[in-house]
Amino acid sequence: MMYNFYVERDSILHRLDPRVKIIASILGIASMILFNSPTMLFLLFVSISLSLAFLGKITFREQLRVLKPLFPLMIITIAIWPFILEPASFGLFIGFGYALRLASMAMITFGLLITTSQRELILGFIKLKMPYEIGLTLTIALRYIPTLFGLAQKITDAQKSRGLELEKGSFLTRLKNTIPILIPLIISAIKTAHELSIALESRAFGANKRRTFLYTIKMKSRDYFALIVVLFLFGLALYLRYQLNIGYIKLY
Amino acid sequence: MIEVRNLWHIYEGRKIALRDVSLAFENEIVALVGPNGSGKTTLAKHLNGLLKPTKGEVIVDGLNTREHSVAELSRIVGYVFQNPENMFFEENVFKEVAFGPKNLGLSEEEIEERVKWVLKQVNLEGYEERHPYGLSGGEKQRLAIACILAMNPKYLILDEPTTGLDEKSAESVKTVIKKLYREGHGILLITHEMELVLELAERVVLLYEGQKLFDGSVGEFFALNLRDYYLDKPEILKISENLNLGFIRSVGDFLTKLEELL
Ligand SMILES: Nc1ncnc2c1ncn2[C@@H]1O[C@H](COP(=O)(O)OP(=O)(O)OP(=O)(O)O)[C@@H](O)[C@H]1O
Ligand SMILES: [Mg+2]
Repeated sequence: MMYNFYVERDSILHRLDPRVKIIASILGIASMILFNSPTMLFLLFVSISLSLAFLGKITFREQLRVLKPLFPLMIITIAIWPFILEPASFGLFIGFGYALRLASMAMITFGLLITTSQRELILGFIKLKMPYEIGLTLTIALRYIPTLFGLAQKITDAQKSRGLELEKGSFLTRLKNTIPILIPLIISAIKTAHELSIALESRAFGANKRRTFLYTIKMKSRDYFALIVVLFLFGLALYLRYQLNIGYIKLY
Repeated sequence: MIEVRNLWHIYEGRKIALRDVSLAFENEIVALVGPNGSGKTTLAKHLNGLLKPTKGEVIVDGLNTREHSVAELSRIVGYVFQNPENMFFEENVFKEVAFGPKNLGLSEEEIEERVKWVLKQVNLEGYEERHPYGLSGGEKQRLAIACILAMNPKYLILDEPTTGLDEKSAESVKTVIKKLYREGHGILLITHEMELVLELAERVVLLYEGQKLFDGSVGEFFALNLRDYYLDKPEILKISENLNLGFIRSVGDFLTKLEELL
């Protein structure tokens, strides 16, 4: 289990200013919502995956590992749409698109986290004029996800050792079987949150409105260039969607 | 008998956690020691099927772990995890202990009987209505042991059972371990605490970077140069050796030998 997403590597994405990466991620996720055509979503997914591989040196193997926990959700998405839309084959097609949309959004978030250290991430949020508290909270929350996964794994192992069988039974039984895992997980999460708040308070967090930063970040020309590319691509997405009406299918 | 034959474990991401480990034990207390990351937990997880061998075999009373589920194997090998709170989710001790037997499909009466019996085993009689999260550290640890004992396993794996407990609580847990051993359970004790090894174990297995480097009696174990493995002798043993009193197992031993000397 990975306890921290960030992996130190020498890549274009790693070197990019965190502000550019944050903006690119937000716009990237927004463009996922612009389109609903599976073909378009597939192309977007492929280009995200390729950019992460070539610009961020994140191997396809690593990308797959992040997507794995999402598989059940993606399968449910694909399975549900044929019931909503007629004919079923069309529903399936749309379902695929939505599963890809989910995967792309996860990959964008993951790409940001794996190429940006926690310190840079917080700095990036603050320099984008987000209040420090929100920046820190967001970063801690993101940082805590892998820990939570690890904990869930431990609890699952413990309950399996008491004879809990997760793979057996009807949908309802399975749902009920998650209770022995969820309760210890929630209790532990609340405890950690409480400890964290004490740790922050004891370091006088929030006592002074003006903070001093030890490190700072500065936009270089390549960062401006990257920002222009990002804005151009988002503009292109808007143009495709609203001027040319590409990539959007009317469902009902 | 639990038999581990030429076991290799490689985690996703290619971390080799176990290299060709072989081991067999029956009804004895075996201490499994080694520095952080040496593969102790990984080895233990193989014994009740939570992990399956990358290469090699684990045979539990004739059952190959590859071919049986954790639920099946947990009737033979009980695994008490390191942090007891990770498993508590019921509103009282009775229900908490009853969870395992319920999964085994026992009847109401059988469950009631079994809960009563295991609570007695771990010296928690009369705690049925207490809330699991409201217990002390030692009581929680003993409750965790009870929850696993309720599956009626022949073997018990205890991962760091006394870590973080005060003297008195640790003592209460040790008493339970000794009792279970006397009653014929095979016990694998994972620990960093050399005092615990000295006091409880007959046999010690040392893992280092995924390899089994030593497997022998406690006496032989403490004759090794433990510093090489980032481990240290218990103080009481050092004092005893400095006084030329030889090998001892507990403070009681020490005092007896000291008296003899004087
Ligand atoms: N799920 C996992 N995925 C990848 N690597 C893992 C995983 N679990 C453990 N490891 C690695 O395998 C090695 C052995 O880990 P293990 O937990 O078995 O050690 P341990 O002896 O129990 O250590 P400790 O004394 O800290 O509990 C370590 O290097 C660890 O980082
Ligand atoms: Mg361990």
